[in-house]
Amino acid sequence: MKMKKYLLALSLGLILVLAACGGSSDDSKKDDGDKDSSSGDKEVTLHLAALESAYGADVWKNIIKAYEGINENVTVDLTIAKNLEEVIRPEMQAGNYPDIFMLATSREEALTETLIKENGVENLSDVLTMTVPGEEVQVQDKLLDGFTDTLATNPYDDGEMYLAPMFYSPTGLFYNAALFEEKGWEVPTTWDEMWELGEKADKEGIALFTYPIAGYFDTLIGSLLYASGGPELFTSAMTYEEGAWQTDEAKRVLETVEKLSEYTHPNTVANANPNDFTKNQQLVLDNEALFMPNGSWVVDEMKEAPRADGFEWGMTAVPAFEEGGDQYAFTFFEQIWIPKEAENIDAAKEFISFLYSDEASDIFLEAGAVQPIEGNVDKLDEQKKLFYGIYEEGALPAMGTFASTDPVPGASISDELYGKVDSIMSGKLTVEGWQKAIQEVSDKLRPAMK
Amino acid sequence: MKKSKGMRTETLYKIFIYVTLIALVITILIPVAWVFLASIKENKEFYGSPWTLPDGFYFQNFVEAFVDAKMGDYLLNSVIVTGLSLLILLVVALPSAYVLSRFEFRGRSLLNSFVKAGLFINVSYIAVPIFLMLLDWDSVLKVMFGDGMLLNNRFILATIYASTALPFTIFLLSSYFQTLPSDFEEAASIDGAGYYKTMISIMFPIAMPSIVIVILFNFLLFWNEYILALTLMPGDNKTLPVGLLNLMAAERAAVNYGPMYAGMVIVMLPTLILYILVQKRLTQGMTVGGVKG
Amino acid sequence: MSKKRSRNIFIAICVSPAVILFTLFMVLPTIEVFRMSLYNWGGFSKTKEFVGFNNFKLLWNDMNFIQSFQNSVLLIVLVAIITIIFAVFFAAVLTKEKVVGGNFFRVIFYIPNILSIVVIAGIFSAVYDAKSGLLNSVFGVLKLDTFKQMWLGNQDIIIYSIAGALIWQAIGYYMVMYMSSMASIPESYYEAASLEGAGKFKQFTSITLPLIWNNIRTTLTFYIISTINLSFLLVKAMTGGGPDGSTEVFLSYMYSQAYGNSTYGYGMAIGVVVFTFSFALAAIVSRITKRDVLEY
Repeated sequence: MKMKKYLLALSLGLILVLAACGGSSDDSKKDDGDKDSSSGDKEVTLHLAALESAYGADVWKNIIKAYEGINENVTVDLTIAKNLEEVIRPEMQAGNYPDIFMLATSREEALTETLIKENGVENLSDVLTMTVPGEEVQVQDKLLDGFTDTLATNPYDDGEMYLAPMFYSPTGLFYNAALFEEKGWEVPTTWDEMWELGEKADKEGIALFTYPIAGYFDTLIGSLLYASGGPELFTSAMTYEEGAWQTDEAKRVLETVEKLSEYTHPNTVANANPNDFTKNQQLVLDNEALFMPNGSWVVDEMKEAPRADGFEWGMTAVPAFEEGGDQYAFTFFEQIWIPKEAENIDAAKEFISFLYSDEASDIFLEAGAVQPIEGNVDKLDEQKKLFYGIYEEGALPAMGTFASTDPVPGASISDELYGKVDSIMSGKLTVEGWQKAIQEVSDKLRPAMK
Repeated sequence: MKKSKGMRTETLYKIFIYVTLIALVITILIPVAWVFLASIKENKEFYGSPWTLPDGFYFQNFVEAFVDAKMGDYLLNSVIVTGLSLLILLVVALPSAYVLSRFEFRGRSLLNSFVKAGLFINVSYIAVPIFLMLLDWDSVLKVMFGDGMLLNNRFILATIYASTALPFTIFLLSSYFQTLPSDFEEAASIDGAGYYKTMISIMFPIAMPSIVIVILFNFLLFWNEYILALTLMPGDNKTLPVGLLNLMAAERAAVNYGPMYAGMVIVMLPTLILYILVQKRLTQGMTVGGVKG
Repeated sequence: MSKKRSRNIFIAICVSPAVILFTLFMVLPTIEVFRMSLYNWGGFSKTKEFVGFNNFKLLWNDMNFIQSFQNSVLLIVLVAIITIIFAVFFAAVLTKEKVVGGNFFRVIFYIPNILSIVVIAGIFSAVYDAKSGLLNSVFGVLKLDTFKQMWLGNQDIIIYSIAGALIWQAIGYYMVMYMSSMASIPESYYEAASLEGAGKFKQFTSITLPLIWNNIRTTLTFYIISTINLSFLLVKAMTGGGPDGSTEVFLSYMYSQAYGNSTYGYGMAIGVVVFTFSFALAAIVSRITKRDVLEY
């Protein structure tokens, strides 16, 4: 029975694709608030595949209900799982692609990256100029500045958006604000102040630093690169430019991480694995370590954990290298995208444009998911406002990720750049060795860049 | 004098033995008890030391695992798939193991070396090729009958489970059959029993101890398997280990530890019960590459 | 003639179902794995590029693969040797000594083998925990602070911590295997040796060990297969291959390449190497441990 339904959907989808092909590209432009124009009068079944993350599974069910409410011709089938890649990969290898993926980059399984590498992601630039269903404005007018012109949304660095930004969280160094108040310490704004604080804290038996797992250095090193050499350095590192890691600015970043290892809580590396990383986060809650790189999700993640009396979350941007220098807070965000092989590309784009409507973003906000939409920050509760307001307090936003390459066997930049942090922390690896490893893998990836 | 010294070393030896035995028992019982205790803890109890006793009996964990995570439904599925797999496995493996170990024929040594090589094939890399193959067949079926039916099919999953377990099972059963003296068949032949009768009513009952072993080993294997189950059953008919994944942590979300451990207990209990039921037979049946009696 | 024919038919009927299933679901997919190892393929696109043995050449120079190779071999050797010592010892004690509650011990010892690997990962993460772990607490109580370790943090130690968990899991299983063959050694052998004045240890080395030798040899193959498989599952659940690849094993590296790095063909090449290596290793081990079979 299920199979039959599925077949029906499949053939319907096929008809739609044929229709879309026949109507050429005009179809998407015709879309001016009248929903029926692009999807026609035909019934469409969209298949949405979403990662079940901190925001839960119900949020997507509510979104779908809302969308089906305003768009009677569309039914949305939802696949939601915590191990989405494992669930969906076989289906895709069989040629059954979902129409929409809510799945970010930088995940262990790297399904999104694989599709990018294989040129399997649909260009979404025209979504930006689509009118949000039920509203008078275009998608691009609602989005915050800067969210659609980094490698995280434009992986081929060609000005075209392939991955639409969905939920974002500012990241930075998290700490116990109450502890700082109690001890009369200032939150450091430069690394020199940081090391001073490290000495002070050491006398009290508190470690300066810990981190959940090495992967969390993606945002910390990102911010450090920005702070050290500005967007130019970050871009040259992310595009594997020759000699990028040999520069003094880049070396300074690596050396800072090495110096941090002297102040890192001794149990950190032992707990820096997928099974035990919450124990490292617990160190901050227990006043055993001062700072950890993290994102605003950590508050909910640890909400049931016991904590020191009067504990109060604080978050600061990554310190600057010089007095008065730039401080950055990396923005982590999750993308939504359409695979090229999807059967209902136009209907899928329309669905995505709906996700930026006020109605949808309120549903997301209720579940704690914040989109980079103008005015969203004002709707947040006090605690969240504190995190999301970090950019209003002088921190500069940093965004982006590695440029996409063709797959290169055995060469993984994140293993070398972030994975090796564990070895730096344990003293097994020197900055020179680290630098060399990053340089080598960059050399391998550079010729494979798109 | 001399004798008492002998006695002393004897007692010392005994003490040594008991100490080591009890030490091993402790290292096993404590962690296992730990899992059971963890399953009745409340979520907030998981953040401190892992060795504190539960504050109370928090039964809600099991309710959540059974109802919200649908472990109850998946339990039934697991029972069906595991049962079917064992049945298919025994029906296929027993006759072939018997023939391969007790009959001389052309191609026998080739088949035996295939069985040996099969031991080294790992499910984790053939899962995707199997899936793609089923898919190809499905599309042929669709053309012929208008419907495919190889995926999300418990019977197919069971057949594949049985197939992947064939090398080890045939290997184990053959080793047992080899240790039996040839008198059995000779006697049966004099009584006028044919090949089939000899095999089914004489040899199989004798092999009972090692059949029990095969059932236990493969039960554990099938019951805990999840790579194939995940790949070949994308629909609603999930098995327990796949369901257990849903109780694990979500990305950047608080872990629901209690239900997770409750889920583990639900997966673990049937294997414990089966083991306690059959453990008496365990030592009788395992004569892999063993001494001939 | 007809008797021979009916015999052949009997053989064919008995063997063919197994042959068919084995060919369909084991041989064909394995051939597919071998074939894919010759291609460059990300996993989804329709373009597969034939590259011959290039993937294997790259493997040869891939330091991360070599590290995972070393880790796997180390684990196989450690787990096999230590488990054999413990399992044979406990098997001998439980069969030869009149131990009170022998049956109880036998039942308990086998339990680790029936636990799922996720449970074992959870247990050992609590045992190895740096702060409140069982191991460090015990050393703390015994005032042996020098033995306290970062069991999962020290990159020189962590692979042994993994081995410890695997051995704990395996002892009972192999013990039961050795017990069954020890149980079939006639008691008269030991009585005769005892009369000649041979001590317990002497009896063990001259009677028990030679007579169960073939059994031990066979289990060596099992150690190879199961260590490769279980170390992958354990590492995936417990350490994620870290810190910095120090617990990466064969199959975990295969996974991260086939999926995480979008190089499916390369991952399959690793699969081929693992298959060939384990097969060859088992053959070599079986050859060099061959002794004249002692019959009695």
